[in-house]
Amino acid sequence: MSDPIKIRATVKGSDGEVRVLLPHPMESGQRRDAGGQAVPAHFITSVTLSINGRPVIEGGLGTAVSANPLFGFQFAGVKAGDKVAIAWLDNKGQRGNAETVFAAG
Amino acid sequence: MEMAPHRRSFLQAFGSAGILAGLVGGGLLRPGQALAVDFNRAAFDARSAADALRLIGATAAETSADIVLKTPEIAENGAAVPIEVISNIPGTTRLSVLVDKNPFPLALQFNFAPPAVARFQARLKMGESSRLRIVASAGGKHYTVFREVKVTAGGCG
Repeated sequence: MSDPIKIRATVKGSDGEVRVLLPHPMESGQRRDAGGQAVPAHFITSVTLSINGRPVIEGGLGTAVSANPLFGFQFAGVKAGDKVAIAWLDNKGQRGNAETVFAAG
Repeated sequence: MEMAPHRRSFLQAFGSAGILAGLVGGGLLRPGQALAVDFNRAAFDARSAADALRLIGATAAETSADIVLKTPEIAENGAAVPIEVISNIPGTTRLSVLVDKNPFPLALQFNFAPPAVARFQARLKMGESSRLRIVASAGGKHYTVFREVKVTAGGCG
């Protein structure tokens, strides 16, 4: 299985920032391997970020998102200790998820 | 890459990393939870920016100076072009990113609900120099901003 998700959530005052790295090959389906065979598309199609269990960001992804997607998100009106959860689903039905809490930064 | 069925169901039931098992046991995570995302996948399969814009309903988007697009003018590595998008349009609920000359121009879409603000950073693959186009959706209307980005080494090969 792939490396674990890296997620960091910091809050200053009531402004929060989440940075998340989702280890995933994000194969576009356009690439050929050393033997000239097309490498099948394999990419994350959707991402959901929840705060305290409620989805607040939903993402639809195509093949043009870079390998090992790195996203930054901003929030207004969060506090230290609020829970942040991220979940992804790819075009092969594989999933990943991770959770952290906002920490005073 | 195919995993044995019992292995896969184990991973689905307990998350992708061992360290998450404690969280699952503690009831903090709900693995296998359906993602409530209703994006139009046909738009992601569109092979021209015009088709993708039509499928996301944004053909009539008007240019807006209230969308900030930060990206390098010249990207040395087309495999990872950093972008930051900030919508200052009140009530922005969705931001979409298109790379006109990519094989599939629609790169990503994010929906935002409070306390998330309509702003994000991401990295994109760009096969060649292209127009980079942002569409912000707010109150049932669409707004757009675009910029030409030069790519010196393509990232779709």
